[in-house]
Amino acid sequence: MDALITVLLVVTIALVFDFTNGFHDTANAMATSVATGALKPKVAVTISAVLNLVGAFLSTEVAKTISQGIIKEGDGGVQITPTMIFAGLVGAVLWNLGTWYLGLPSSSTHALFGGLIGAAIIGAGFGSVDFGVVLSKVVLPALFSPLVAGLVALVATYAAYMITKQARSRGADAGFRHGQTISASLVSLAHGTNDAQKTMGVITLTLIAAGYQGAGTGPQFWVVASCGLAIALGTYLGGWRIMRTVGKRITDVQPAQGFAAETSSAATILISSHLGFALSTTQVTSGAVVGSGLGKKLATVHWGVVGRIAMAWLFTLPAAALVGGLAAWIASTSTVGLIIVAVLALAGGLGFVFLARRHPVTHDNVNDVDEDYSASRESAPVTTGKA
Amino acid sequence: MTSDKFLGVDWAAFGIVFAVAFAAAVVIVSFYALGLRLLAVGSDDDTGADGSIVSTARGTRPLGATVGAFACLAVCVAAVLYGLYLIIPQFH
Repeated sequence: MDALITVLLVVTIALVFDFTNGFHDTANAMATSVATGALKPKVAVTISAVLNLVGAFLSTEVAKTISQGIIKEGDGGVQITPTMIFAGLVGAVLWNLGTWYLGLPSSSTHALFGGLIGAAIIGAGFGSVDFGVVLSKVVLPALFSPLVAGLVALVATYAAYMITKQARSRGADAGFRHGQTISASLVSLAHGTNDAQKTMGVITLTLIAAGYQGAGTGPQFWVVASCGLAIALGTYLGGWRIMRTVGKRITDVQPAQGFAAETSSAATILISSHLGFALSTTQVTSGAVVGSGLGKKLATVHWGVVGRIAMAWLFTLPAAALVGGLAAWIASTSTVGLIIVAVLALAGGLGFVFLARRHPVTHDNVNDVDEDYSASRESAPVTTGKA
Repeated sequence: MTSDKFLGVDWAAFGIVFAVAFAAAVVIVSFYALGLRLLAVGSDDDTGADGSIVSTARGTRPLGATVGAFACLAVCVAAVLYGLYLIIPQFH
């Protein structure tokens, strides 16, 4: 009975995590398209949601271990219990909601790793975490992913503007908007094939650990379907707060920049995962947006915003680990402790939602930045520029 | 740990990722931009610096520009198809 409760809770929170993952990462693919007016906000999130759903069903090769070697498993290592997975997911979900409230793009994968690491430390001690792998797989890639994507986008943006006479040649802006829609769609599809997989892996791992499924078998259909739907729903509802940051606050993205940034992101993500050196979608796209701001003459990059995002990335792992560790500490005492954690997590999550309600960001005001800025925007719709 | 690894990162693989991504993105963006530019050959610049449309009159475009433009855009279509090929595991 206790095992069943644990498994049910893990499956539930895994799907919630998947939802926040989609919710958080809508901005990666669609923020620039929304900012340039290439796609209407609702259309953008619908396309992204459908492609994420399709992506979830496309890939059948599930990453067998979500931990990817960070937590020493198997012979001589620690046994990851469903309770630890649950606690890790609590940490990841709360961090995702917190950064969403602040409108900061941050990697859901890193949050998940952080949560699991925290839970593993509490559950099995510091020895259970391979910090060398944490450094090489999480910390260093977080430093150079945005640099790589930023540099690529910088040169691509510069080239795009140079070739089209600063986007003044006939039809250049319209053309870049069309191109951007396509490269952003590729980013969405790639996201679906990657991120939904992680949750499927977590749920399958739990089912195997609890003995509901044979070891070495792939995810069951209901797992694939529910993960795909959860990430698609999250994507559709859209983390508008984060979209505003990526599309408008880092730099005011124009069509040529949006096209260059999304194409650079798509190229970097696809090539890195194809060559077995997968980089975080969030970090690549954020870096590319900064790069596209630097590649355009007279464009302003708001380094204060970039600094806040960088801080969020720095804290993603330790903060999620702290929450995950606390959750593991309480949850591992008994089933009652587990339920207490679930209730606390629910309260924390709802707390962020209520805080966000006070200053809602929706598809209607996603492109407004500041009060005076939005006033000048209203008289000049994005699609035609300022009159 | 092999000799080309520092801090556990395979920097050679990282270098290749960077070089290929850089080349691919810059080539695709440049060809797309060139295609757009060639499509605009023969027309006056009609887009203001702020992106507003100042004229909708279409000029005559030499055949060479049209062919060149579609060749450039074809490169981009090929790149998108290759991207789809990379994303969808059923293709390989």
